[in-house]
Parts: sequence; C-alpha cells; structure tokens
Amino acid sequence: MQLLVTDTDTHLVITVNEARIDAAIATRFKDKLRETIVRHRKPVEMRMRAVEFMDSSGLGAMIALRKALPEDMPLILKGLTPNVERVFRLTRMDTVFDIRPETENEEQKE
Amino acid sequence: MTSNPRQNAEIQGRVTARTQPMFHRVLRAHPQTVRDTLGDIRQRFREDVSEDTLGRLELVLAEVLNNVTEHAGTGDAVPSRTPSIHLCIVRHDSGLACAITDDGASLPDDCILPRILPTAEFPDLPEGGFGWYLIQDLTQALCYYREESRNFLAFSVPFAYDEASR
Repeated sequence: MQLLVTDTDTHLVITVNEARIDAAIATRFKDKLRETIVRHRKPVEMRMRAVEFMDSSGLGAMIALRKALPEDMPLILKGLTPNVERVFRLTRMDTVFDIRPETENEEQKE
Repeated sequence: MTSNPRQNAEIQGRVTARTQPMFHRVLRAHPQTVRDTLGDIRQRFREDVSEDTLGRLELVLAEVLNNVTEHAGTGDAVPSRTPSIHLCIVRHDSGLACAITDDGASLPDDCILPRILPTAEFPDLPEGGFGWYLIQDLTQALCYYREESRNFLAFSVPFAYDEASR
C-alpha cells in the first residue's frame, strides 16, 4: 500500500499515493491507517492529490478513520480530486471532515 | 446484424453509418476484476464523453459491481459461488445507457426504492449504506427485473448540462 506517514510536531501527515481507494483495498487501507492514527493521537492531515477514484467502500474507510479521532481533533483532507470530492459532497460527509485546498507550496512539493 | 440502407437513410436519402461507442464484458464478481473492467470502460469512452460524466459513470458502475461482488455470492442454490456478471454500456444522445445482469442472489426490494442518506452525527457516523444512495442519485430510469436465476438492472447516466451530444 502506497502511504507515506510523517509525524510533524503538530500533525500526523499522511500522503496517500494510491490511485484508487476502492473495494479492492478499502479494508486494508482502513486497518493500516486506523492503527497509525490511534497510536499517534494528534490531528491528522491527509494529502489526497494522487487519489483519482474513491467509491463508497473507500468513503466508509475514511469515515472509520475520522471516528478513530476524537470529535475535537480534526482530520484535514487536502488536494481532493473532482471524483473524490464528489463522493464526499453527494453523501454530505464533507461536513464531517475538514476539507481544505492545497497551498501552492504543497502542490510543488508533491 | 447489419442495418439495411433504408434504416440509415437521412432526409435526403443519404446513407450514413451512425456508430456509437459501446462496451460489453462478461466478468466474474471479484474486486480486482471489477477494478480492471472499470479501467477498460474509461479507455473505451474517454474520447467521446466528458471527464465529469466518465467520473459519474465509473462511480455508479463501481457501486453496482461491488454490490454483486459483496452480496450476491451466497446464492440460495449454490452458496459461496462467484457470480458471473454481464455488462453492456451504450452511448446515446443524452447519456450512457447501462444494462447489468448477474446470476447471484436476488436484489432486496429496498435497494431500488427511493433512499435517504443515513443520518450522520459524530460519533455515530455510518460507515456504509451509501452505495445505493449514490446509484439512485447519479442515474435516471433505474429499473430492476428478476428472471429465474438472474438479476437485470438497467439505468442511464445522463450527460452534464453543457455536454453537447455528438
């Protein structure tokens, strides 16, 4: 699974380098990241630019990750591609996550 | 089957062969096979359909095919048999018409009845139950038929408002 996890002082930054979060990998994706998130117990920033497709299994995995954090600790999503953003929007799950645009600096780095 | 000249004649009697991209595939209900098939569908229609429509088509088909993969495998007659799916997609003037059949377990009635989103309030967030909501939201003319051992599902994925028919 193509995941890059970096622990900055303030956040756990997870760069997802999988092109698809779909039924074929959703369970492994969820199990692996939930363990990491619970262990670090700090706000999470997920960089999603490389993810071109997500289905409802992938959405379910993302919601499980959100629930692994307390309500007052944000799960920030950056760099959502249109196909991924659509799933969050249509299911109104965009209100549960902290969805932000990528800064120019971050786009250049990736 | 080839069409005769009269079927293809326009007003002035000029004969045109009107072709539209189509996609047909018989596949086993397995997550990796579903993934590969969705990639092939994208290849087939990418020249003729906008990225927005292609994204909606891919999401709807992923949800339908995943449902067969996850739920239809434990058929009444032969448990844990992998269903065989037949998939056909045709580009029409107003959208992409899709027909999907499988020989898995019957689709429960409530899948195709109008749906509302599961309620979502932290920490009681649902992790599932979105698939059929998305299918209903993104399709038109969704209909279902069961004949003996097969499910038939048909629907259309409409083009975007500004997507002229070609």
